[in-house]
Amino acid sequence: MRILALESSCDETALTILNAQADSLVLEKDQVYSQVDIHQQFGGVVPEVAARQHAETIIPLLSANIKSEEKVDYLAVTTGPGLITSLLLGVTAAKTLAYAKNTPLVTVNHMEGHIYSNWLSNDELVKNANKYFPSLVLIVSGGHTELVLMKGHGDYQLLGSTVDDAVGEAFDKVAKLLDLGYPGGPIVSQRANDGDCSIYDLPRPMINSGDYNFSFSGLKTAVLYTLERKKKINTEDVDNVCASFQNAVVDILVNKTMKAAQEFGVKSIMLAGGVAANNQLKESLQQEARIKDLPFFFPELKYSGDNAAMISVAAYYNILNKKNIISGKDLLSVAPQSNWQLFKK
Amino acid sequence: MQEFVTNNIKETNKVANDLATSLESGQLIALSGNLGAGKTVFVKALAVGLGISETITSPTFVLMKSYPVNYKQIKQLIHVDCYRLDASEDLADIGLQDFLDDPQTLVVIEWADKLDNLPKNNLINVKMEFLGQDKRKIVISSKLVG
Repeated sequence: MRILALESSCDETALTILNAQADSLVLEKDQVYSQVDIHQQFGGVVPEVAARQHAETIIPLLSANIKSEEKVDYLAVTTGPGLITSLLLGVTAAKTLAYAKNTPLVTVNHMEGHIYSNWLSNDELVKNANKYFPSLVLIVSGGHTELVLMKGHGDYQLLGSTVDDAVGEAFDKVAKLLDLGYPGGPIVSQRANDGDCSIYDLPRPMINSGDYNFSFSGLKTAVLYTLERKKKINTEDVDNVCASFQNAVVDILVNKTMKAAQEFGVKSIMLAGGVAANNQLKESLQQEARIKDLPFFFPELKYSGDNAAMISVAAYYNILNKKNIISGKDLLSVAPQSNWQLFKK
Repeated sequence: MQEFVTNNIKETNKVANDLATSLESGQLIALSGNLGAGKTVFVKALAVGLGISETITSPTFVLMKSYPVNYKQIKQLIHVDCYRLDASEDLADIGLQDFLDDPQTLVVIEWADKLDNLPKNNLINVKMEFLGQDKRKIVISSKLVG
């Protein structure tokens, strides 16, 4: 079957056409239009600008990638969670198209999309997913930090999440404290490569909390204390702070992930979300998983950030489960759900 | 105007809790202070004071989060964060005006100092300052009508 998916939940406007078969997922089209440059120019996200950019890019993206007479079997769109103004553009375009083309629309949860980015990068999951369930999924991004037990397609249990800041947000804010620019994650981890992580003894908040929740706000503040104490910092200090910070973050994430993997007797571990691009995190998880003899999956770099390809794959498995498919007059009531919590405790 | 110097998170939480007990719906709390000043910690304690059971998490990334409340006339808390916003931007774009006009909603805005068009009435300003380790200065001033 062919699925056309749209994603516009935050800074990216993206479109994918997926050709899905029982044991293969082929992307016929896959385009991402990023607004990071624009946000850099403004020094942050401007909701009105973000929405206008989505509005300006979504129609050209559609007309460049699909002919008006061309048929797809399903349309799919991210309906949440995300920025309301950004979501609205994708949802409006998708439901209008679905109604006009008389094609069913699949409403997709953005977080579920991130989980399915692993299917895009690992053929083995497409062919033999059931071998790897239950799987433990660590989702880490600018807005989310969640540890999810995936018992099967569409069957999730939330084990824990951040009680304050998300991991990606902590990276961005530490970058800001060090005056390193935006987006902070890649810059901090690059600087960490040249640093010594043993110089600063930063805390590991909640590492022994006995549950699977996370806290990163205090770690950010600990970096602030460190900088206040030093007053003047040179390039080497910045590298060392970045290395110490990243080491603390990875320590916490890996520690909780492996504890949960043990407790729930999972058959595999997966990483997802924008922070899945972090090499130290990937390598540490890979190493720990190997010790426990657990398969470890992670998305390729191009699918770790926001994209429409992951949305199309999540839509495909929703279709197989007959979930979240909307057609006919019901399409008119499809609306963004900026707080959509898919994973339940 | 009230000024507090708190020596630990417990004392900071008490200031937020005390403020919560005096709140009315239709009010706007504007929080300001640098990174690490404790704005989100303050909102968390405020939420506890309002009897909110959900965990308040940082709205930095999504700009705005909402929580159901059942406290006096207050039916919902809208938690906004302007950190990622451009200084001059109008929050009307994320639909904030509707909440500001709603008598059953309490709006709390972090990094409110980035906005220059906040309503003047029913506004409570909370300024937080980092004084080292867990020590904070909190200044609360309000312009209330009625």
